[in-house]
Amino acid sequence: MSEAIEAEQTFADKFPEEARIVRAALLGSFLALTLGAIFGIIQTLHRTGVFRGLIDSTDYYTSLTAHGVFLALSFTTFFLVGLFTWAVVRSLDRPLLNTKITWTWYGLMAAGMTMTGVSILAGFVDSIDMSADVLFTFYAPLQAHPMFYAGLAVFIVGSWIAGADYFRTWLAWKRENPDERIPLQTFMVLTTMAMWYIASSAVAASVLIFLLPWSLGLIDQVNPTLTRTLFWFFGHPVVYFWLMPAYLLWYTVLPKLAGGRLFSDPLARVVFVLFLLLSTPVGIHHQYLDPGIAEGFKFISMTNTMFLLLPSLLTAFTVVASVEYGARQRGGSGLLGWLTDLPWRDPAFTGMMLAGLMFAAGGFSGMVNAGMNINYMIHNTIWVPGHFHLTVGTAVALTFMAATYWLWPQITNKPIYSRTIGLVQVVVWFIGMALMSNAMHAQGILGVPRRTAEPEYSGFDYPTMFGGFEELNIQIAIGGTLLFVSTVLFIGNLVLTMGNPKVSGLGDPIPSALSGPDDSPKVLDNLRLWVGIALTLVVLAYALPLAAIIQRGGLLGPGVGTYPVWLAPLLDALANAAATLLGGIADASASLAEVVG
Amino acid sequence: MGQNETAHAPTDDVSGETEEFDPIGTLTLIAIYFVILVLSWVYIYYIEFLGRDLVVVG
Amino acid sequence: MFLLGSVTYGAVGPGVAMVSDTEPTVDAGALDEDERFSEPRVEQVGEDEYAAYVVARQFGFQPDPIVVPANSTVTFYVTSADVIHGFEVAGTNANTMVVPGEVSEITVETDEPAEYGLICNEYCGAGHHVMEGKVNVVSQAEFESSGGDGE
Ligand SMILES: [Cu+2]
Repeated sequence: MSEAIEAEQTFADKFPEEARIVRAALLGSFLALTLGAIFGIIQTLHRTGVFRGLIDSTDYYTSLTAHGVFLALSFTTFFLVGLFTWAVVRSLDRPLLNTKITWTWYGLMAAGMTMTGVSILAGFVDSIDMSADVLFTFYAPLQAHPMFYAGLAVFIVGSWIAGADYFRTWLAWKRENPDERIPLQTFMVLTTMAMWYIASSAVAASVLIFLLPWSLGLIDQVNPTLTRTLFWFFGHPVVYFWLMPAYLLWYTVLPKLAGGRLFSDPLARVVFVLFLLLSTPVGIHHQYLDPGIAEGFKFISMTNTMFLLLPSLLTAFTVVASVEYGARQRGGSGLLGWLTDLPWRDPAFTGMMLAGLMFAAGGFSGMVNAGMNINYMIHNTIWVPGHFHLTVGTAVALTFMAATYWLWPQITNKPIYSRTIGLVQVVVWFIGMALMSNAMHAQGILGVPRRTAEPEYSGFDYPTMFGGFEELNIQIAIGGTLLFVSTVLFIGNLVLTMGNPKVSGLGDPIPSALSGPDDSPKVLDNLRLWVGIALTLVVLAYALPLAAIIQRGGLLGPGVGTYPVWLAPLLDALANAAATLLGGIADASASLAEVVG
Repeated sequence: MGQNETAHAPTDDVSGETEEFDPIGTLTLIAIYFVILVLSWVYIYYIEFLGRDLVVVG
Repeated sequence: MFLLGSVTYGAVGPGVAMVSDTEPTVDAGALDEDERFSEPRVEQVGEDEYAAYVVARQFGFQPDPIVVPANSTVTFYVTSADVIHGFEVAGTNANTMVVPGEVSEITVETDEPAEYGLICNEYCGAGHHVMEGKVNVVSQAEFESSGGDGE
């Protein structure tokens, strides 16, 4: 690739219009991060009983929905589309085909998320008859305001157009460079987006066919197991959708920050292909304890899940080996002595390394989650959020923040305001998460449930193990507070950075891999083949379970009611009126029957 | 800028195979990780999980 | 390999079984007409074998407490009258989702007398955090003297 030229120019110099889009996406992402962090600190203090004065316990679920949707969907996805736009344009070294299309998907995603966000936040205001306290999993028959579902649909459609934008730009590049291998970063983007199309089709179907019409009153009821299964069809691969941009950064940016280069381009491609194939046919492992799904389907899902360990292990090897290579280039020696020769003062490097370390710890708790029978012990306990705060909450979020310290100058020509604050920020995040997540795992083993405003109960006390419930609560509160402080440092540093003047000479090219694309079999680039196999695996894993669920409960559920969280008072009144009316009719028909009989 | 392009890096090789880099440190770290993983698993599954009340048998 | 084997096949050795589709569906809106759930209760179904029919609804469990005898095999049949709930006997392995229209069947072996907390561990609405119950494992004698109906 054209490193010599790149060394002179930043991304912002070369592609100013695309850089604007990347900035807009990242700013959208950081806005979501800010909101999510505010709800995060409120919840941490409320749940642990440290401070419950700010919101009522019934409003806790409004806050929890906002925290989940803003962070898990909005923060991650906006960062992803920004990063992917950067990665495609940078690695293809050509502009996007038509930035009008790009701004269109950006606008759709922003509008969709605004609709969903407003429907959630309205839950805090009693005078507005709108609420979406259904958490980010929106399990029916709890029902949100229609705008919640509609916003999600618009948001997802926006992301689909973003994917199409990347594919079209790549096809244009391919016409110009018919004999070249797909550049690695573009390859990563395309496989990830292919996975996203497969995964999000299920949740889009669930929202458009069932949940939205149901919330609008067009259909009476839904099948809760069906919508739940469609959610998890999407819900597990979405984990990898968050993770793939972090992997992209670990594979292509981290080795460079370490002073080296990627160890193996072919291995990186293999890993992304494996994720495309295996991410989706595993979602039922979130439903091990669901009635109405046969044990055999759960077992198949578990087996598939175990295969998913492979690409993550390959990643651990490739990324750490690339970092070791960098350390040895810097003069590192010894079996482990090279670890001291790494640029630990660089917040981008240190942040990503700490994120990777947390991910390794998350690998363990994830293994426990994936085990079918041990699920009895930790299912729906606070162990589970303890786990995903290691993965999405640190492996992904901390990598994104750390990468920003490197990426932001490339897309703005402005140096970071303070790299020292940056370093402090990533370390504080690591410490805060270590405390919070560790205590959450420990409480989970005690049986403390997730998703509750008040985890202490009147009728019993939890057993004491690694410190009692109360001590662990304090640990969670301290950890959560540190995470909030870290977020404030990050956002503050970034805002001050925006005030910096533009300078030149910030360009920082990415070196090619030690073992380049020419060493990898051509078949790896055959996206049609991989998408075909991925679809086949999905059909194999899901056709029978979905058919069985529909056969059991019917397409629209086995006599299940509707429980709107947004219309409760109004609905009660309506129900009473209807009951009186029906009672009247029944009485009338009964007397009629008597007369006729 | 481009400090990684200097002296050490074998920029002229594309095959990668000629590079004498043996990721021994990486393999050591991964081995340590595996040992921790196995020990933690033994604890969580055999002691914590199977040692609890109300084991589900059907 | 040991690790993967144990994670994957660990169930076989200790004989742990999963909640699954063994029970037919029910009409969540008409539980009061259901033979098993119109009167949530514990009843003896064999020698040292008991069945507990439990209904979860916003925001509590019936019966409460659920009284079962020690040193016996108890099968819980849990269903929901409204939304999705959880059924978790705190600090134990008895844990399942409760989905309206479905019946979760879960069989456990009780040991000595003990009192456990019962928690709804799936968000089920604004009062979710007050949804709790008890599972009391009592001696055989005490179970019989209480009438053995689990109330
Ligand atoms: Cu509940």
